[in-house]
Amino acid sequence: MSKKLSRRQFLTYTFGGTAGFLASGMLFPMVRFAIDPVLKKGAGSEYVETTMTEAEITDSPKAVKFTIHRKDGWYQPPQGEEQTAWVFKQNGKVVALSPVCKHLGCTVNWNSNPQFKDEFFCPCHFGRYYKDGRNVPGTPPAKPLDKYKTKIENGRLLIGPLEKA
Amino acid sequence: MLRAIYDWVDERLDITPLWRDVADHEVPEHVNPAHHFSAFIYCFGGLTFFVVVIQILSGMFLAMYYVPDIVNAHPSVNYLQNELAMGAIVRGMHHWGASVAIVMLFLHTLRVFFTGSYKHPREFNWVVGMLIFFVMLGLGFTGYLLPWDNKAYFATKVGVEIAASVPVIGPYIATFLQGGDIVGAQTLARFFALHVFFLPAALLGLLGAHFILIRRQGISGPL
Amino acid sequence: MAHNPDGNQKQVHYVGDSRVRADRPKLYPPDYSEFPGKSEAFFPDFLLKEWMVAAVFLVGFMTLVMAEEPPLGELADPTNTSFLPVPDWYFLFLYQLLKYKWASGPFVVIGTVILPGIAFTALLLAPWLDRSKERRPLKRPVATGIMIVSLISVAALTWAAEVEHEKQMESNPGETPENTKVIAQDEEGYRIYQKNACIKCHGDQLQGLNGPSLLGIGNRMKGEHKMTAEDIIKIIDEGRGAMPAGMFQGSEQEKKILAEWLMKQKQK
Repeated sequence: MSKKLSRRQFLTYTFGGTAGFLASGMLFPMVRFAIDPVLKKGAGSEYVETTMTEAEITDSPKAVKFTIHRKDGWYQPPQGEEQTAWVFKQNGKVVALSPVCKHLGCTVNWNSNPQFKDEFFCPCHFGRYYKDGRNVPGTPPAKPLDKYKTKIENGRLLIGPLEKA
Repeated sequence: MLRAIYDWVDERLDITPLWRDVADHEVPEHVNPAHHFSAFIYCFGGLTFFVVVIQILSGMFLAMYYVPDIVNAHPSVNYLQNELAMGAIVRGMHHWGASVAIVMLFLHTLRVFFTGSYKHPREFNWVVGMLIFFVMLGLGFTGYLLPWDNKAYFATKVGVEIAASVPVIGPYIATFLQGGDIVGAQTLARFFALHVFFLPAALLGLLGAHFILIRRQGISGPL
Repeated sequence: MAHNPDGNQKQVHYVGDSRVRADRPKLYPPDYSEFPGKSEAFFPDFLLKEWMVAAVFLVGFMTLVMAEEPPLGELADPTNTSFLPVPDWYFLFLYQLLKYKWASGPFVVIGTVILPGIAFTALLLAPWLDRSKERRPLKRPVATGIMIVSLISVAALTWAAEVEHEKQMESNPGETPENTKVIAQDEEGYRIYQKNACIKCHGDQLQGLNGPSLLGIGNRMKGEHKMTAEDIIKIIDEGRGAMPAGMFQGSEQEKKILAEWLMKQKQK
C-alpha cells in the first residue's frame, strides 16, 4: 500500500465526511428530542398531606393512602394518583416505607403471611423484609424497601418524595 | 476485522454484485451539475427523495410522543413542540418538509415533462411517478389533520365535503374517510393509520419501482 | 421440460434450474457512449456531487426550520362558527375552483370530478397522448402549451384563493367574546379612545356600532400571527374597509398608548 492518497480514496473520504454531515444534521435534533426524558431532571415533588394524625401512628405499620399530582408528559389526571405507604414509629421516629418490592415491583403487605410473623411479605416470589424495611437474606429482594421522607405539621403526617438510597 | 465480517457475509449472501452494479454504473455528463450548471434541474428528483428520508425519520421520532386521539392529540403535539428539547425543530422539519417535498416533487415532474423524458421506453416510470405524486398528496392531506387544531379540523371537513359532492360514490367516500358520520375520533384514528402505515408502505413500494426502472432504462439522453 | 421432441429445432437453454431462458435479452441500460461529453462512475464521483447539493439543501432547509416555528392552532372546536377553513396551500387551487359559479352548486361535478379528472388523467397518460419521438419542449408546442396554460391557471387559482382568504380574514369579526367587559377602562388609553372618533363607530363599550366590535382584539390573528400594536397603528393610519385613513387626531405618542391599550383587550 502506498502512503500517497489516491484520487479514489480522497473522493471516498470526502464522500464519507459529507455523509456524516448530512446524517448528523438530520439526526442530531431528532435524537436529542428522543432522549430528552433521559436528560430531564426529575421534578422535585412536594410534601403531600395525608389523613393520618400523629397520634394514630403506632409501632405497628399501617397503610396510609395519599394522593400525588404528577404530570406525565401532557397527561395529568385531575383526581391525582393514589399511592400507599406503610407508616409506623421506630424508636420514636416516624418511618414511611414504600410498598413496592425491590425484587420485581409487586406490592408488599405487612403481616399477611401467617408463616412469617411481623414481616413485610411479597406474594409474588415470597420476598420478605424485616419491619425496618431490610430485606431478609436468602429471599429474592436484594435491597431494603425505599423510604419516603416524612414531616409532621399541625399534628398531621405529610409524605414527601422517596429518599435517595 | 470489518473486511473479514464483510467477506463472511458476502460469501453467503453474494451482495457484492448488488451494490457494485449501483456504484460502478456510469452517469453521463449532461445530468452532472459539476459540468453544466444548468444540469441542476436534474437534482430535483434526488432532492425529493432526500426530503422523503427527512420526512420518514422525523415522522418516526414524532410518533414517539404523538397520540392519535381527539383528547390527547393536541396536548401531545403542544407538549412535544413546546416542552421537549428540539421539539419545535423536529416538528418543524416534518411540517415544513411536507411543503418542501411537494415543491421538489412538482419541480421534478416539470423537469421530466419539459425534457420529454417520459417518452418511450420510460412511459411506465412516468406512471409510477404520477402515482407517487398522488400518494404524497394523500400523505399531505391525512397528515394535516393529525395535530387536531382548528385549522386541521376545518380543512379536513372541507376536504371530506368536496369528496362527498362526487356523484353516486361521493357519500360512500366521505363515510369511508370519516370512519363515521362526522369528522371526529374515528376520522383521526384512520387518518393516522393511513398517514403512518398504508400510504408510506405504498410510497416505499412505488419508490422502489421508480428506482429500479431508472437503473434498468438509464437516464434519458441530452436534448 | 427443455427437451424438444422435434430434434431439428434448437435446444432451449435455461439459467440454472429456473425458467429464465439463457438467451433472454438483458434489460440493462445502454452505456452512455453515444451521448456527448464524459461520463463518470456513480460512486464516488457522481454521488459526491449530488451530496454536495444535498448538503447545501440541508443547510437551507434547517435554516428555514429554525427560523419559523411550525404553527399549532387552538384545539379543534367544531362549534367554532367564526373559523375560516383553509386547506394546505397545495390544495388551494382545487378549493378555489369550487368557489366559482360554473363549478359549484348544480355544476359541482365540473369542479370536483370533471376538471380534476381530466387534468389528472391527462397527466397520468401523458406518454400516450404525446407519442412523438421529439423531446425538446419547443418542438412539441401542443404538449408544452397545454402544460404552461395549466401551470398558469393553477398558480392563478392558488393566488386568487390566497387573496380571498386574506380578505376574509381581515373582515372576519371573530367570535364575540363571552366576556364583554372593557379591560382597564380607567386608563389613559380609554380617554384617548373616547376623545377621538373611534368611539363613534366602535362604541363606548367596544361593542361596535357602525364599525366592528373591538372586544378581544388583543387575541385577534393577522394571518398566521397574533396582531401586534404596530398592526393596529397601521390600521389607524391607513384605515381599513369602511374606516377612512387619518381619523386619529392626537399625537403619535397618544396613538401608541391607544394601540397598546387596545392590545390589552384580550376578552375571551
